[in-house]
Formats: sequence, structure tokens, C-alpha cells
Amino acid sequence: MNTVSVVIPVKDGERYLEELLDALAREGPEETIVIDSGSRDRSPQIARAAGVEVLEIDPAEFGHGRTRNLGAERSSGELVCFLTQDATPCEGWLAAFRAAFALEDGVGASYGPHLPRPATSPMIARELTEFFAGFSPDGKPAVQRTGDTSFLSNVNACYARACWEEIRFRDVAYSEDQAFGADMLERGWTKVYHPGAAVLHAHDYGMVEFMRRYFDEYRGLRETTGHLERFDIAEMVRYVGGAVRADRRWMAEHGVTGLERTRWTLRAGAHHGGRRVFSAIGSRAERIPAPLRRGLSLERRGDAGAGEDRVVQPNGAGPPPRPPELSPSRHIDQMLKRDDYDVVDRIWREGPAPLLEPVPGMSERERLRLALVIPPFSRGSGGHNTLFQIFSRLERRGHACSIWLADYHHHARDLWPAALRNDINEFFASFAGPVYKGFDSWQGADVVMATGWQTVHAVLGLDGTRARAYVVNDHEPEFFAASTEHVLAQDTYRHGLHCIAASPWLRDLLIERYGASADAFQLGVDHDVYRPLPVSRLENTVVYYARHSTPRRAVPIGLMALAELHRRRPDVRIALFGTDKPLHAAFPYEYHGILTPPQLARLYSEATVGLCLSLTNFSLMPKEMLACGLPCVELAGVSAESIFGADGPLELAALTPAALADALERLLADRELWHRRSEDGVEFVASHTWDHATDEVEAGLRHALAEREAVVAAI
Amino acid sequence: MSSIKTMTATDLAAENERLRQRVAALEAELVDVQARTNAAIGDWQERAYWLDRTHIDLNRLMERPGANEVRLTLRAVRAVWWRLKRLKRRLLGQ
Repeated sequence: MNTVSVVIPVKDGERYLEELLDALAREGPEETIVIDSGSRDRSPQIARAAGVEVLEIDPAEFGHGRTRNLGAERSSGELVCFLTQDATPCEGWLAAFRAAFALEDGVGASYGPHLPRPATSPMIARELTEFFAGFSPDGKPAVQRTGDTSFLSNVNACYARACWEEIRFRDVAYSEDQAFGADMLERGWTKVYHPGAAVLHAHDYGMVEFMRRYFDEYRGLRETTGHLERFDIAEMVRYVGGAVRADRRWMAEHGVTGLERTRWTLRAGAHHGGRRVFSAIGSRAERIPAPLRRGLSLERRGDAGAGEDRVVQPNGAGPPPRPPELSPSRHIDQMLKRDDYDVVDRIWREGPAPLLEPVPGMSERERLRLALVIPPFSRGSGGHNTLFQIFSRLERRGHACSIWLADYHHHARDLWPAALRNDINEFFASFAGPVYKGFDSWQGADVVMATGWQTVHAVLGLDGTRARAYVVNDHEPEFFAASTEHVLAQDTYRHGLHCIAASPWLRDLLIERYGASADAFQLGVDHDVYRPLPVSRLENTVVYYARHSTPRRAVPIGLMALAELHRRRPDVRIALFGTDKPLHAAFPYEYHGILTPPQLARLYSEATVGLCLSLTNFSLMPKEMLACGLPCVELAGVSAESIFGADGPLELAALTPAALADALERLLADRELWHRRSEDGVEFVASHTWDHATDEVEAGLRHALAEREAVVAAI
Repeated sequence: MSSIKTMTATDLAAENERLRQRVAALEAELVDVQARTNAAIGDWQERAYWLDRTHIDLNRLMERPGANEVRLTLRAVRAVWWRLKRLKRRLLGQ
């Protein structure tokens, strides 16, 4: 038969201690140790009078886990029982624990029920009874293994020494028993709930004390197991209602009637409601200011985390140097049904969905089924404007067109499909077909078109298509520094989609750098809006597209160039637009904010010279300036030459403030040059229409289908 | 004895051409059906704009207890209102 030691941590526990020790004398363990942590009542004397060993420790050294470890170290039994100072063993308690450990090999711990004392409130009495009955519906000992509840209570528990030596109690401020329960199951030990190992026990705290105790309990649970108590008002109201009804049933069954029952009913409502509130607050204690935390804690703990971690040195040498404390970690629930990059992960793991077999002659067919997959957008998005201008024209040409929003980062969470469709019509171009959010209703297409790096992996996962195309507005890897986005954007060009690039420069880059198959199209200009308006052109006025939020616009260098121009020609009037707030600049300027297309046409028709920089692909804005007869300065050596040639209508300059200022000054000073650039510009962009752009994109889509036919024919 | 007709090269070419035309016709029909479906859904989305803008899912709303009763009550009130208006017009000779 196993020898048993009983360890009882005590502080001011005289109320039940004598009764407890008498009961223990009846049960007959081999050893009983009382650890007193600074009682100011008669507890040590009571213990000594009962003939048990008393170990006195400094109150500051007390810790629920630490002190119990000390007790286990000082004891010698093969089984070590722990009781709290107010838990009185019932008859048969010790025999039940011994029986629990004999049930099977590998039992590391056992615990028994807490029975209510006669004066216990109906709420606590009912809950205690129901709670422990839940561990053993048939009233027999229950073995709990990995995956079962980790509940364990040091109010009344017994441990196999071998198990305690392997696991030991964590030095935590609270819930060391729960942590032990979880740890031991994880290591393969089992534990036993034995209904016969009962103690009389109840926390008959006052209302406020009770709430503060729950604050501590759930704070401890959070620190040890990461448990975060939910708080939902409707759910709480339902819970409190149910609990009060159950309490009233209990009272009826136990003869509590009349005024007494009414009084307890009111108390029960406050009890259950307050407990839910304080439990929720306790499990979020780290978010509360320390003084308030201390005030709410029954144990007056104001620290944010796991509490004091000092240990008692056997040689009395005092605490060792404390290692740096970790700030308290927070348990975070899964917040998404899947990872943001799940679609990329799937394509990398499983590869693209297979394409449909091509049908001979499909690239020549008059009407096609086209699906445009877009990233989320906002009003004024230039790239989306290009897409919708072209796609609405493809629809008007008789193709069966649909638009699909890929929103894996939830930017358009609040927009439902019909609202998205309306925004496309309102912000960009008319579209009569359907707009879908996500791909639940995916129906297949002759050609599915990716339109931004965020859409490509989604497009690769779509089945029922004959070809995939990629309308590339810009070389998007250059939008990002070294990052996941940079890598993913590069990856999009390597999956065999037929690219339709928004300039010859971009097409060549895709072919040369990524080995992609690619066509090009020229961005169109809305000539109904952008044309020389009948307004007088101002002298010495430079307008600058200062979109500071777009890094590829190199706005700081543009501002330096204008500052240089201002130093040379203080008479030049400078106007900035395209930014939603004024920028700091070393020169005075007129600020226009963000303008509508008709306002832009007016500005371009009045100004003398435009400045618009792009470090990557050429944008629409210089073309719109040229369409209004406004000569424009752009960067040399990037993409502009591929469209306009080295000496076309644009004045090209290197990316230095001096070179840009030189170019602006040339156009301001040389009237002959200005007129030549202005006339060449209007003439050059006259053929750059959205209809023409649509012709080129449609040819690219047919090319994508023809490539598929050619590949299959070759096989 | 079975009478298997031997197909000449000309026959095969003609059959191929017939099948190609059939495929093309089916493809055109598919595009046509898709275009009409798109137009119908687009039209429905046009009408559902304010529901989507205000995040109202009518089907879910009508699944709530009492929703259909509210609808029927409103319908009854509206019918009474219309009758009163008709009566008023008749009495005033409008």
C-alpha cells in the first residue's frame, strides 16, 4: 500500500483547521505537513497541538505552485495529497485516493469532489454538486487521459510522487493545478476523478470578495492556459437567466422557500452576472492599468504577468539574481478562416488548374466569353480606369463579359456585388454585365484575364477556361522593397499567362526578364475630355503631378527640380495637383488638390508646361497633357522613349533636379520648341484612343487563345 | 452481309467540315447563352443596388420570426390605404 503525505498551505486558517486535522487523524495518512505563511491567528498552534509538522515561511515567499513544490520536497510519501485550509476530508477520503492510484498504471494524480458545507449559498452548492457530478455521471471513478479535461484542483488532490517529480508545479500566481493537469496529460500521465475522495469545502466569500476572487481565478487561467473568457451581453443575459432558474429549482428541492428564496434569487442574479463580468475582466487583466488591477484583485496583485518568481533557497541564501521577465504573452484566436496568402500557397503546392482543351478556330470566333479578375479599387485608380475603359468596350463589341473581384486581403469587405458594380459604373465606365465578389459562382470562360499581381494566383486556380491572359499595367515588383509582395509580383510573370502590356517597354521587359509571351497596347485618351479648350494659355506656368503617396512618382526629386527652377526663374508660377494635402516645398506654389477629368483638361489647357515623372511604366497623364496641347517633361531612359521616341513630343530629362529644371526652362524660354512640342503632342496622341487600345487588347486575347491552339496542335 | 459504306477522302473532308460548323454553332450558342445570362444578372444587380449597398439580405431577413406576418400586415394596410384613396377620388369626382 502506498504511503501518503498530506501538505496543507495555511494562512489565518484557524476557522476550519482543527476540524480538518481531526478528519485527517481519522483517515490516517503517514505524514502531515502544515506550511504556514505568516498567520496572525492560532493556526500554527492548532497544527502543533494536532501533532503535525509545521513549516513556517515568509509570506513574501508564498506562491501557490512554489509552496506546494516545497511541501512535496519536504514530505516523503509515495503519494502527496494537497488540501486547502478550509477543505475537510469526508470519511473514506484517503482510501478513495489509494484506490484511484490502483486503477491502472500511469495514474499521476487524482482529485475528488468538493461538497458544500451546510451554510453554503444555494448558488455555490448547486454549482459545486453539478460541476463534480459532470466528471462521473455514473458515480464511478473516471480515468482522464490526453484530450480529456485538464481540470485538477489543489483544494483536494493527490499526486504520485514520480509524476510530481517529472512535472512539478509551475511557479505561477494562480491556477498551478490547472497547469499541472494540462502538463501531465500532455506527457502521457492519466488522472482519476474519484467521487469517494470528497471534502467539505466552499468559498463563502461576500459578494465583492467573490467577484474579486473570480477576477484572480480567470487572470490566473489566462496566464497559465491562455484561456480568454468570452463576453457577450446577450449571451450573458441568457446565461444568468438560466442559472437563476436552476438555482430556484435547487432551492425548491432543498426546502428553501418564501422570503428566503426571494432573497437568494436576487443574490443569485447579481452573483452569476457579476461573476461573468469579473471573469471576462480577469482574463483581460493585462489590458487594465496596474492600480485598478490591484484594486480588483483579492490578492492585491497589480503586476501584469505571472507574478513573483522568487524561490526559497534550501540554504537560506536568499533569492538568486532574477532573470529578465518576459512581458505577458496574449493568446490570439484564429482570426481568419484561412491565411491571406492561401491562394498563393495552393498554387505553389498543387499547381494551376488545368485549362480546357482548345477548340479549333476559337481564337477567330467573333464573340468570346471573357472574365476580368480585378483587385479592389477606389475612385481615381488609374490602372482600374484603363481596365474598365477597355473591358466596357469589349462588352459593347458583343463579347460575353463578367467581372470578378479577388479580395483576399478584405479591402472591400463592406462592398457587396451590386454596390461594386455600381461603383465601377459611377467611377470609371459603363458596364452592363454582372460583377462577382469571390469565385463561388465561377462559370468558366474562353479567356480569363488577370489584371494585377494580387489576381494572378486566383486566376491560376480557376478551372473551365481555355486560356489565361494578364493585362499588365506596370512592372509591379518595382512597387515593393524586398518583401513577400515583391517576390509574389515577380512570380506572377512566370506561370505562362499571355501578357498584354501597357507599353512596348513593358512588353519587352516581360519577355526579356521573365521569358513571358507578351503583346503590347497603348493607353488611350478620352479625347472628348482631353483636348485644347478655348481658354487663354498662361505664360510661365508649370503644373506638376505631385502624387506623393505613389513612390514611383519620385515626388521629392520633382520638388527639388521645381525648387531649382524657382531659384533660376522666381517669376514662374508653379501649380501642384494630384495629392490630397499640400506638400512641404522650398518654393511657393498653388495647390489644386485632386481634380476631376474636366478640371484637369482645363488646367492643362491653361498651363505652359507640365511635369509628370514615372520611374516605371509610362502613365496616362502625360498623354492627357499632350492631348490638351501642353508640352510635358518626363524621365529619359525609362519607358517614354518606347512610345514617343527619343525626340518625340515629350521633353525628356535625366532624373536630377538640375536636368529636370533645365528641361522645364527650355520649354518656358524657347517659344519655337514649345510650339513644336505642343503641336507634335496633339497630333501624336490623336490616334491613341480607348477604341484603339481595345483593338490591341482584343488582339492579345485572341493571341492567348491561338497560342493554346498552337501548343495543343504541336503536341 | 453488312453493307459498310467506305468513306472517301472527300466524304471525310465534308464530314469534318460539317462537324467544325456544328462546333462553331454550339460555341456561338454558348456565348449567346452566357451573354444573356450576364445581362440578366447585371439587370438584377442594378435593381438590387440599394439592398447590397445597405447590406440587406432579404431572404435572411424574411426568415426571422414574424417577418412574414409583418409583410402581410403591411400589405393589408396598403390595400386599405389604396381603397380609401380610391374612395376619396370617387367621392370628390376626381
